[in-house]
Amino acid sequence: MAKWGMVIDLDKCTGCQACTTACSMENNTLPGENWQDVLYYHEGEYPSAQMKWLPRPCMQCEEPSCVHVCPTRATYKDDEAGGIVFIDWNKCIGCKYCMIACPYGVRFYADEQPLVEPDLKAAFPGEDGQLWSPPYQGPQEDWSRGIGIQPKGVVSKCTFCHHKVSQAPAGTPDLDEDDPDLKEYVPACVRTCPPKARYFGDLDNPESNVNKLIGNKRGVRLKDETGNRPQVYYLGAGANIPAFQRRQRS
Amino acid sequence: MTDNNVMKGSAGTGLLVLSLLVMVAGFGYAAMNMAAHGHAAFNTDANVAWGQPISTYLYFALASSGLGLLAAVPLVFKVKEYYPVAKRCIFLAFIILISGMAVLAMELGHTFRMIWALPFGMQVQSAMFWMGVLYALDLLFLLWKFQRMEGRDWDSKTTLQIGIASFLGVLLASGNLALIFGMMSMRPFWFDPSLPIYFYLTGIASGMAALVFYTYLAYGFDRGKMPAALRQLMEGGLPKLFVTLLGITFLFIMVRMITGLYANAPEINLVWSDYILASPVYHISLWGGILLPFLLLLSPTLRVQPAVQVACAVLVFGGLFAERYFFVVGGQVIPLFKGTWAWDISQYAPSATEWSLTFMGAAMIFVLYVLGEKMFNLSDSPADTPSGASQPAGAKATA
Repeated sequence: MAKWGMVIDLDKCTGCQACTTACSMENNTLPGENWQDVLYYHEGEYPSAQMKWLPRPCMQCEEPSCVHVCPTRATYKDDEAGGIVFIDWNKCIGCKYCMIACPYGVRFYADEQPLVEPDLKAAFPGEDGQLWSPPYQGPQEDWSRGIGIQPKGVVSKCTFCHHKVSQAPAGTPDLDEDDPDLKEYVPACVRTCPPKARYFGDLDNPESNVNKLIGNKRGVRLKDETGNRPQVYYLGAGANIPAFQRRQRS
Repeated sequence: MTDNNVMKGSAGTGLLVLSLLVMVAGFGYAAMNMAAHGHAAFNTDANVAWGQPISTYLYFALASSGLGLLAAVPLVFKVKEYYPVAKRCIFLAFIILISGMAVLAMELGHTFRMIWALPFGMQVQSAMFWMGVLYALDLLFLLWKFQRMEGRDWDSKTTLQIGIASFLGVLLASGNLALIFGMMSMRPFWFDPSLPIYFYLTGIASGMAALVFYTYLAYGFDRGKMPAALRQLMEGGLPKLFVTLLGITFLFIMVRMITGLYANAPEINLVWSDYILASPVYHISLWGGILLPFLLLLSPTLRVQPAVQVACAVLVFGGLFAERYFFVVGGQVIPLFKGTWAWDISQYAPSATEWSLTFMGAAMIFVLYVLGEKMFNLSDSPADTPSGASQPAGAKATA
């Protein structure tokens, strides 16, 4: 079984948020429920100020702290599914301990006040147990893996588009959107990336492109000191997180 | 012995009706808003996921644990001077924990699912799993111990064993509750292996405040109406223990504050400097709710006065409630990995629904307390037990 990993080249990423939009459309997430996001950081001051940005999916950690803290095993790491961390919405009690424990802030409890108006939950009231029911919905729904539109009172997160990658032929080293035979299996954020800054493949396959990129281009993992050991690697300059500092609104 | 207990009369009935109304109103308001808006009725979000309902639960759970530990003074360590408050300690510990759990139940996304998902999941790596197990055991032991006291079995071997089990259960439950926060290395404000000690000490302080307040309340705030042994305790050892606990609590808070302010890490430093100490509410709570009662009770003449004791208990209620709130929220206000999406320290203030849950929990304590005072003799102690009735037949005394 593959161990799915993602490589993001920050020297190519333009911070355009196409990945965020594609993820939201693919997975029917609400505004603010950004399973995939691009985070912007400012450092320094004029004239030497710099702006950096980091695309941030769920890191699908090898040692996921969210899994360790979940009191009901609703959050679990599925090695049979490529090491993806899932949430079983049938078991989640909505205690939000996983949101506390995730160092990367990739978990969302969408049953909260809307980020923007109009509130889409009010515009498209939930049916059949869903938190909200938009007119278009992704065809795949699997609550045992946290795929689809969630019910009320549970936490949601990125699934590495398991509903797509799980359909890929066994033994595929890389899911490359440029390969016509594989493009349907590529995660939405990877497939849509205009500058092709994202790569997706099998970290257990020494011949995979993702492994070569990590090895040849000195791939790093964010916040590696946490010990969570993400399955998402970053290439290029700027793969670090500036310490939090308060900024005054002008 | 208990004729002077005003809770058994019309004053108690009046308080019962009033607190019942507040409880029902609090529950009704929260339930109505949550039915209409779901958890959007709360002001929590992805940055501050745990808000006032969690801090309220924490406050109640630790006050309960504190009362459990105080009950161990006579029941485990055999300091007989404290027998007159043992039964009330156990009862208060039980009802305050029940009330805390009621607030928590309203906060969770799927409370009833927890009943089967927790035992079937058996996720022994999760401190929250153990919180469920240990507080369930805590409740069980409290109930069992109370049942033995109700049967006037104070000193049998079985009672002592239950008392020791309960004492250990309380230590484990509240210590584990601390570790829910203290083991989170990704939340530096909380990450602290000594947090269980902090929780024990502050828990006993809030338990003591509850004991003082509710004991006086039972006698209409008139110490002259108390049974002699209880009166003696309230004039002697208990206020000294109260002031000691407050002193240690204040010291511990200061140690955390100083190390936090000294730390360079913004997740600790800024929480103290720009969130906690920037809040006038925190200052009022700390100086007025912890230091002031400590100073008042330091005075040998003041600390024996019933009015001062009750006032200090009420001040400590507020002081430690705020302490729990700023502890829970403070651990989350520095945005975690959000970049400039989270521009500044996260803003959180409890919504009316969240406040209504806090009032619901507090009112529930009063409801159960008055019922307990009416139904049981909570001031009972071995001294009041008729000779020969202190042990069940065949039980071997160990004291």
